[in-house]
Amino acid sequence: MTRGEIVAKVNALMHEGFEIPMEKLKPEATLFDELKLDSLDAVDMLVHLEEKLQIKVDAERLQAVRTMEDVYTLVADLAG
Amino acid sequence: MKVHITGMGAMSSLGLGVGEFFEGLKAGRTGITARPEWKQYVGLHSHLGASVPAYDITQIPRSARRTMSRMSELAVVATLEAVRGADLLPGHGIGGGKSTPRIAICLGSTSGSPDTLETYFRKLIERGGPEGQMGTTFFKVMNHSVAANVAAALGFVGPVIAPSSACSTSAQAIIHGWELLQTGLYDIVIAGGADELHYTSAAVFDVVLAASRGFNDRPDEASRPFDSRRDGLVVSEGAGVVVLETEASARARGVRSHAELAGGAVICDANHMSQPNGEAMDTVMRLSLERARLQAEDIGYFNAHATATVQGDREEAQAVRRIFGDRVPVSSLKGHLGHSLAACGALEAIACVKMLEESVLIPTRNLQEIDPECAGIQHLQALEKRSFRHAISTNFAFGGMNTSLVVSGIN
Repeated sequence: MTRGEIVAKVNALMHEGFEIPMEKLKPEATLFDELKLDSLDAVDMLVHLEEKLQIKVDAERLQAVRTMEDVYTLVADLAG
Repeated sequence: MKVHITGMGAMSSLGLGVGEFFEGLKAGRTGITARPEWKQYVGLHSHLGASVPAYDITQIPRSARRTMSRMSELAVVATLEAVRGADLLPGHGIGGGKSTPRIAICLGSTSGSPDTLETYFRKLIERGGPEGQMGTTFFKVMNHSVAANVAAALGFVGPVIAPSSACSTSAQAIIHGWELLQTGLYDIVIAGGADELHYTSAAVFDVVLAASRGFNDRPDEASRPFDSRRDGLVVSEGAGVVVLETEASARARGVRSHAELAGGAVICDANHMSQPNGEAMDTVMRLSLERARLQAEDIGYFNAHATATVQGDREEAQAVRRIFGDRVPVSSLKGHLGHSLAACGALEAIACVKMLEESVLIPTRNLQEIDPECAGIQHLQALEKRSFRHAISTNFAFGGMNTSLVVSGIN
């Protein structure tokens, strides 16, 4: 996947799964403070990422994710 | 201590809210429709059900909705209607106001969400373990899911109690709410129950030959309490919630009472898991009258549990005859609503209040030819305009559960 494809897919997933307006899904947006997600959402985000992007995410690595850019980078690494 | 019903909320197969619910009852409508998609389930013979029409849940923030199954959503919407009607929103501890531990929640369901349970276990078995399970799933299937989700969504900080006794759940919740208020420890109890339609609910009754099988092509005629041609119940879904409040609290807040919850009783026959027990029915009816400080002669309407099973309707009709003779008009609302399981007791209590308020008696739908074994009581077969003062409502459930409550009109 190109970075553009990853950004589009992750943003669509975040919009559909967590009802976050598309305009708020910017690389610098922080998941917990700005996008109002919490630890319960993070677990569900992991499941969405794995199922919709066909990747396997290490839960410990997910804990280090802070921003949308971190999510894009994580997916890019795992998707190869 | 006098207990008043100061708010009511209903989500039923007849519509959204108490207004649509009662208009549907008066119009003699039913929410039961054919479920041809259930034919795929091997061994299931009842292909009928009644579901709540489409509703809007977006008024609840996503952070609260994410842990709700359909039954919790129904309960939240019904509770919102009930608390708004009781003038509890905003500023009295709900919806952003400052809450108080003197308001208790007592809401139950038959089980956690069957739809979510199916999804959870299907995935668990397919994957051989918990891989891929959502973090929010458990909160939809835990036994107190309905009560906990209502509390979280609406901001209650008092006790959250989640009774569960299948088909008598919400009646039990209301009666225990009445008992809680008798202690003087609480001002208000928000009580009721909810369940969601799922084929496994039909299967539970189908397996023990208690679900309707012979009317799959005629859903309108399927649920027929006390009728000679009845062949079992039809499952449905919904939520019924009432705001129970002490007279002192209602007066202090200046809120209108719809009716008095005069008393109620819950007993177990401790005899059989599925068979109805006439002796226990007699006992619970008498006990509820005693707690309401009324005699059988005072009752002007009897709302029967009667789900259209062969045995249950017969036992209940005979119990009514033993206690009330043929003097009291009797009807069941299962012909309209189907059997909404954990919601039915509260929905039927709300219907009793509306009948008291509007001086009207709702007949048993589809009761065309009274089964001789259900005879000897005053069956309502047509809508009647009639003023009355006290109504009694019974509910029974697997596990030997027997409940009876009495509501009284104001003035």
